[in-house]
Order: sequence, then structure tokens, then C-alpha cells
Amino acid sequence: MNRAASASSMWDRLRRVLRDNGLGIVFGALFLLTLVGQAISGHAYFNDQQISVGGEPVSLAHYLTSSSFGVDVVENWQSEYLQFFLYIFGTVWLVQRGSPESKDMDEAGPESDADQRIGRHARADSPRWARPGDWRTVVFSRSLGLVMGGIFLLSWGAQSVAGWAAYNAEQIGSRQDPVTWLGYLGQPEFWNRTTQNWQSEMLAVGSMAVLGVYLRQRGSPESKPVGAAHAGTGETG
Amino acid sequence: MLARAALLAAAVLLAGCADLEQPVVEQVASTFAAADPSTRCAMLAPATVAVVEAARSESCVQAMAQLSLPEGAVVSSTVWGDNAQVQLVGDTVFLTRTSTGWKVTAAGCRSRGDAPYVCRLEGP
Repeated sequence: MNRAASASSMWDRLRRVLRDNGLGIVFGALFLLTLVGQAISGHAYFNDQQISVGGEPVSLAHYLTSSSFGVDVVENWQSEYLQFFLYIFGTVWLVQRGSPESKDMDEAGPESDADQRIGRHARADSPRWARPGDWRTVVFSRSLGLVMGGIFLLSWGAQSVAGWAAYNAEQIGSRQDPVTWLGYLGQPEFWNRTTQNWQSEMLAVGSMAVLGVYLRQRGSPESKPVGAAHAGTGETG
Repeated sequence: MLARAALLAAAVLLAGCADLEQPVVEQVASTFAAADPSTRCAMLAPATVAVVEAARSESCVQAMAQLSLPEGAVVSSTVWGDNAQVQLVGDTVFLTRTSTGWKVTAAGCRSRGDAPYVCRLEGP
């Protein structure tokens, strides 16, 4: 194979990888871009506050390793993963008539082994842990929700620690006593940070489930086909 | 389990970083009370110097000469980010980290429970 043909084949392979993983790649890149945006704007805001209380501005590297930046990042992570964790488990049992986000009315619950293609109903291309029917299948059957729930707990725990450190730095800066970690969990600041994120996630999920009944987005799997009836549940276009 | 381990690791990391700074802030706080007025001014955070001079309409050195502080031993200290609090026998001192090291932001402070300490010397 000559050099031109080899380059062309590599380009084709790259294009295929990009096309096959477009959602993951684009949202991964957007995540990094917006995280950089948060770092830059957060650094500027932090230094504004430093100056307003007679302190010195800090470097970007100093800010990025501070508890202030840490808590601002992970408090949003925890709420996003909580949202998906609740949605994944909630949609097993809860239905919404007419919503593309919902199963059919009579499918509420974990469904039969045949429907889920597990145990003896597994097919040749089913994942390995769908087949044995023992604890591995039980775990794999809930792995998406468990991982989302696990990341939520880790992020929330990280928020509590980073928030505690940032809170105590502010307490001492305003000549007040620091608090213990358990003491911080009882502070309005911790719950205000937490619930202000939770409420927005619940609103977004609830409105997505309901608006999808009456509104359409042509070509999106998050929507029903444009011509689908409002009463049709579980269809995606 | 994993969450608890991560939480513990983060707490240990935070405590570890603070531990490294504790001897430094304790040294600054205990030296401050016994220092001469000129040295005290050099140990103050710039914003605290500005407040002292503006409030008393005199130089920092003159203001420090009139300020007597108890020279007690260190009881405990705590460091969070760029701020520190040192409890001495009979006094509480607050410090901030600057580009030239730890500087005193308030001294001669008395606790008022959950409210901010009342301090005989303090910055903004």
C-alpha cells in the first residue's frame, strides 16, 4: 500500500470513530471547555472577593487547588448524577402517558427475563453477565443505576469535604470559629448549595418527561416522531 | 464503602496540608504579642495596617505602641486555606497567607459564640 492510500485509510478510520462516538466526544469536549470557562471566571470572581476583603489576588494554579473551586465543581456533579440515578430507577416503576421518556403503561416494573433477554433468554450477542442468571446478572441488570448512584454519593461526599474546607476558610476570614465536618453538614450553607442544585435537576427532568408528550424534535431519540399521537407512549424518533 | 474511603482520603489530605502550616502560624502568633511596635507593624496584613492607621489617625507604629496584648502560650491552632486562627492563653489571633508569608489580620480577640470575635486590633 502506498503512502497516499495509507493516509486515506487512516483518515477514513478516524472519521468513522468520530461519527460512531459523536455524542460522547462532543459532550466530553464541551465538558472540558466549560470546565476551563468555569476555572477562568471562578478565578476572576475569587480574586474580586479577595480584594474586596483586603486580601491578595491568587494565581490560577492556587485557585484551581483551592477548596473554593473544588466545591463549586463537585456540587454540580453530584446533582447531575443524582438526577440520572433517580431517573434511571424512577422510570422502571413510574410512567407518564404520552411521553417518549416513559415505557408503556402496562410495562411498569423490572419486566420479565424474556423481555430483558437475561438468563436462558440471553442471545448470542448479549453481554456475558446477562447469561448466568446468578448474582452477576442481578448486578449487571442494575449496573447503570448503581454506577450513577455511586458517582452521586462520591461527588456529594466530595462536596461536603471541599465545602467544609471552603466554609471554614471563610469563617476564619470573618473572625469566626471553624466547625467540624458533622457540624458543617448541619449548616444552612451545605443544604443551600445542595438543594439549589437538586431543585433545578428535578425541574428539568420533570419538564422533559411532560413536555415530550406534546412537543417534538424531529430526528431526536429524546422525542417522539413528529407525527406520533400525543397519547402514544414510549415511542422515540 | 468507596465513598467513605474517598471522604477519609480527602479529609486526611486537608488535615495534612493544614498540619504543615500549623507550626508557622503558631510561631507568628506567639511572636506578635511580644514584638516591638515596628516589628508588629511588619507582621500585620497590609489591609489591617490601613484600617489601624485610618481608624486612629496615627502611624501603625504609634498605634502598636499603645496596644498591649497578653503574651500567652499557644493552646491550639487551625489552618483552612489561606486563613488561620491561633488560640493563645488569654488571646486569639487571626492570620492570612500573603505573598510574603503569614500575616496577622486580627489580635486581642474575644469569642462571642457564633458571632464574629470582638478584636482590639483588626482589619477589614
